[in-house]
Amino acid sequence: MADEIDFTTGDAGASSTYPMQCSALRKNGFVVLKGRPCKIVEMSTSKTGKHGHAKVTLVGMEIFGQKYEDICPSTHNMDVPNIKRNDYQLICIQDGYLSLLTETGEVREDLKLPEGELGKEIEGKYNAGEDVQVSVMCAMSEEYAVAIKPCK
Amino acid sequence: MMAAALGPPEVIAQLENAAKVLMAPPSMVSNEQRQHAEHIFLSRKSKSPFAVCKHILETSKVDYVLVQAATAIMEAVVREILLEKGSIESLRTFLLTYVLQRPNLQKYVREQILLAVAVIVKRGSLDKSIDCKSIFHEVSQLISSGNPTVQTLACSLLTALLSEFSSSSKTSNIRQSMEFHGNSKRVFQEEDLRQIFVLTLEVLQAFSRRENLSAQMSSVFQRYLSLANQVSWNFLPPNLDRHYIAMFESSQNVLLRPTESWREALLDSRVLELFFTAHRKIRDSDMAPDSLQCLTQLASLHGPVFPEAAQVDYPAHFIEGLLSTIHGIEIEDSEAVGIASIISNLLTVFPRNVLTAIPSELSSSFVNCLTHLTCSFGRSAALEEVLGKDDMVYMEAYDKLLESWLTLVQDDKHFHKGFFTQHAVQVFNSYIQCHLAAPGGTRNLTAKGVTSREEEEISELQEDDRDQFSDQLASVGMLGRIAAEHCIPLLTSLLEERVTRLHGQLQRHQQQLLASPGSSTIASKILDELHGDIHRLILVTGFLLAVDTRGATLLTPPEIMEYSMKHSSEVDSNTTLQILGSPGEKASPTPGYNRTDSVSRLLSAVLRVSEVESQAVRADLTDLLSPQMGKDIVWFLKHWAKTYLLVDEKLCDQISLPFRTAFGADTEGSQWIIGCLLQKVISSLSVWSSEQDLASDTVQLLVTLVERRERANLVIQCENWWNLAKQFATRSPPLNFLSSPGQRTLMKALVLGGFAQMDTETKQQYWPEVLQLSQQRFLGVINQENFQQMCQQEEVKQETTATLEAPCGIAEATQLDNVAILFFLMDFLTNCVGLMEVYKNNPETVNLIIEFVEVAHKQIRYLGESKAMNLYEACLNLLQEYSKNNWGRQRVDVTAEEEQYQDLLIMELLTPGQAACRSVSAADVVLYGVNLILPLMSQDLLKFPTLCNQYYKLITFICEIFPEKIPQLPEDLFKSPMCSLELGMTSMSSEVCQLCLESLTPLAEQRAKAQDTDSPLLLATRHFLKLDFDMLVLQKHNTEMISREAFYTLVCLHQAQYSELVETLLSSQQDPVIYQRLADAFNKLTASSTPPTLVRKQKMAFIKNLGEFMANVGGLLCVK
Repeated sequence: MADEIDFTTGDAGASSTYPMQCSALRKNGFVVLKGRPCKIVEMSTSKTGKHGHAKVTLVGMEIFGQKYEDICPSTHNMDVPNIKRNDYQLICIQDGYLSLLTETGEVREDLKLPEGELGKEIEGKYNAGEDVQVSVMCAMSEEYAVAIKPCK
Repeated sequence: MMAAALGPPEVIAQLENAAKVLMAPPSMVSNEQRQHAEHIFLSRKSKSPFAVCKHILETSKVDYVLVQAATAIMEAVVREILLEKGSIESLRTFLLTYVLQRPNLQKYVREQILLAVAVIVKRGSLDKSIDCKSIFHEVSQLISSGNPTVQTLACSLLTALLSEFSSSSKTSNIRQSMEFHGNSKRVFQEEDLRQIFVLTLEVLQAFSRRENLSAQMSSVFQRYLSLANQVSWNFLPPNLDRHYIAMFESSQNVLLRPTESWREALLDSRVLELFFTAHRKIRDSDMAPDSLQCLTQLASLHGPVFPEAAQVDYPAHFIEGLLSTIHGIEIEDSEAVGIASIISNLLTVFPRNVLTAIPSELSSSFVNCLTHLTCSFGRSAALEEVLGKDDMVYMEAYDKLLESWLTLVQDDKHFHKGFFTQHAVQVFNSYIQCHLAAPGGTRNLTAKGVTSREEEEISELQEDDRDQFSDQLASVGMLGRIAAEHCIPLLTSLLEERVTRLHGQLQRHQQQLLASPGSSTIASKILDELHGDIHRLILVTGFLLAVDTRGATLLTPPEIMEYSMKHSSEVDSNTTLQILGSPGEKASPTPGYNRTDSVSRLLSAVLRVSEVESQAVRADLTDLLSPQMGKDIVWFLKHWAKTYLLVDEKLCDQISLPFRTAFGADTEGSQWIIGCLLQKVISSLSVWSSEQDLASDTVQLLVTLVERRERANLVIQCENWWNLAKQFATRSPPLNFLSSPGQRTLMKALVLGGFAQMDTETKQQYWPEVLQLSQQRFLGVINQENFQQMCQQEEVKQETTATLEAPCGIAEATQLDNVAILFFLMDFLTNCVGLMEVYKNNPETVNLIIEFVEVAHKQIRYLGESKAMNLYEACLNLLQEYSKNNWGRQRVDVTAEEEQYQDLLIMELLTPGQAACRSVSAADVVLYGVNLILPLMSQDLLKFPTLCNQYYKLITFICEIFPEKIPQLPEDLFKSPMCSLELGMTSMSSEVCQLCLESLTPLAEQRAKAQDTDSPLLLATRHFLKLDFDMLVLQKHNTEMISREAFYTLVCLHQAQYSELVETLLSSQQDPVIYQRLADAFNKLTASSTPPTLVRKQKMAFIKNLGEFMANVGGLLCVK
């Protein structure tokens, strides 16, 4: 995976990923597997033979998505996605999309209502007229709603 | 039997049809049919079904119906308390005759009927309506018939009796009090059990005299053998509380401790003879485990059964039998564990002076035999290890024998010094031999030739050998110390030889690489074997020299010290130092190399391995090295440094001259070694950051070097130390690759190093470089003007996270004498509150902050009052911030795992122990915090054990320390802990239950002080009285843990409620005798405290009475 890093294009401040030695990754942290930003749901090390060097097995879960697995030597550098999280106030839900108010007062309407429990929860709260904030996570220029909480 | 209107034939027809439906395959019958059939059987519980059942047994041909009929009889006998004496006896006779007359009954039908007989017998013993003697008379007649079928039947009956009368877990539910069960067991073990044993022996005698056993015969033989086995049944000491009985009966290793009345039956020499003969006869059959189990139990015979004088004859006789059984045979795989257990039991149970009192020839052949077996099992165990077998029987047997050795060799009271040396040498040699590769050893040699497990995948869950085999290694190390004269030089020469070969191999590879880069043909097999040998040799050396499991303090093991002293006159110190000081060279060319101190020489052999490894790292050959070996080296050095390097001379009785010259205070030797170890740490960290275990072992070595001031003083004189500190502070590679625990421990070491003796100037240089640098960086980051904007940038986040690791390490290093210097951590803490807000959406950072605060606040006990308050304030601010950000948050993961809720463990902050009590406002601090935390907890979250425990600790803490605050809580907040308490008492783990019960006393006392009549607390405590009463009196929980004090306080508070509970309980008793006993017991319980008040004297009297109450009637109230 390290071979694929292109050092010529990304500029330092805005790069969407950064490299990290495989052994320094943590469960519940993030990593790029097969080109997709994933949350590490399982991480284990093993070695071949008593005197072998450590290898790391990573199982990552795309946010609301597929599962990926990879094995690599623990000295290997892996890409870790830059993760940003923002809380937005929910204004309305239309055609399966969320209308969200950003901190700077702009309205975003490009985020889908997530599937599954959380989506139902958001819809339920919205229909009940509750004011809620939606936490949105951004990784490798993709964004997902990941949590809600009542407005303060 | 359900419908009285039906005549017997119709009933039978109906039942048989129902049975047919029940037993039919799923495809043949519908669900409704099956349910209907079930209903027919379930509803058969009519009163006195005896006549009908007898009729069914006599006429029906359907097995299932027969079983049900037998069960019905059994249940009815139990249910109907007042049967006529004669009828119960006739029922038993009927069933027994029934079985006897039908030899072709299905096995399960027969067993069920015999079980019914056993239950009847036990039930009959209640009112003495059945005489056990007559039964045994019948059984012995059955046995003497010589007919195998009848004998089998007798055996089944005896087995059923045995399990009915045995422990409470095996018996059927016959609705009698535990007191009854306990009593009948005691009576049974005195008389009837022995009767069974004697009968069994007779059968076995008869069988073992025969030359050839037919298949049927041998099956009968096996049944009796396993019956004899059950005699091991725990002999129940008199007067035990119910819970002790349960505990007693669940203990794993059952030792045979019969009463005196067994003397004649067990000490008869023919008994042992019989079992040894029996085993010899059947050792190659599947009955062997049974006969060995019998012998194992007999080997553990002890207690009053022995008359004072005859205690020597029995073990002597036993050993004789054992030796002649083992002599000249090839031991089967299935026998290994059994034989090892026999020996281990013999050595455990019989006092050592008994062993010395038996004829010396016998005892020496016994020890020889033990040595022989140990070596042979050890070889087989090593093979099992190489083959990766799942079922390691020899490993288990080997462990048992090594453990026995440990008890033997440590007893120098009964054996003269050196008695075991030759044996120790043999066992040690064989261990070494079978863990070294061929040709020197036999590690990879199997019957099928050379094997290897090079390609096997090993997961991180696999324990390191030093932990997995720690017991084994400790025993081998101990034996090695006993025979130090032999073992230390042996290890030295083996290690020196292997390391020279390793060096050669690595050099060859390097030359190949230089000659033609990238085309090396690695003979990985040779390297692998060398790594394997060195690995095991270092482990053994470590356990022999430094890991002494006997004492708590870290001292040079006395045997080693004596050994070194004994030879110190022959030693040339200069040569010793010279060899120690040149680990890059082979020892042998040094002139006078055989006049060195052997222990130092062994150390220098390990240092040489370490040096060869470091050289390979420098030559960029890390890929060829074994991380496992690297781990072994630093592990060894750590333990060695702890026990040899600059040890506290005040703690040692004596120190040998070579040790003092080489590793003592103010010597060049120790300065040199410290430098060498430090160099090792740096070299190892530079390449092994990706091997987490190795890195953490390495950092541990560093901590060992600085944790004692004497060593630290030398460490900080090394330039390398300062380099390391600078490198870490600037967070340059490779140290920044270390895992977070690694970084923390490293920080801890650096802080500890700062307390070494240095002049003021150095000190002023040290702290800024080590500590303040990281603080400055941290402040630098968060005080940037545009921090709010940049904080989400990844570099900034990483920088913050990394800087947060450092204070965690600093906090871990805090001690009483350095807290003043380290208190600058407060600045970190205050800043963390701001960070919490900024990174509220970053759980990783939040968790780290919480973790830091937790570590930091544990230091509170070292702080003065005002500083402690500062710390609290900071903690509370943090908590408030946390609660603000998390209130009402729902998280997306439905498959949540505990660690994701780690942040909630912030609760721990609120249970600070004694420190909190000393300041008036501490109560408010805590309650304020509780207000913040409680709303965040939910019942679902309590399913996580750590969270749950922490939560209950918090609740208990509040109840104990600030009970007066509880009633002042607003209603919602008050309910929450009360509900939690009830939940904790009824449906959580026993640990939680205990915590909850502990909180009851202060609550109840608090309530007693208040005068109001209908406070919520009053209602709550009334409810708790009921819960407590059920638990205590009806023994729904372990009584030991119930706070009797709390119970009394509750009784005082709610006297009316208590009397009501007692009344209800009494009125539910039908038996007038029991009623009276209970009523008396309850009266006596409160006799000295009527009306109960919270006066101490009364309370103590009540608590004392409660103990008697439990012993007296506790067993009555608990029914099985």
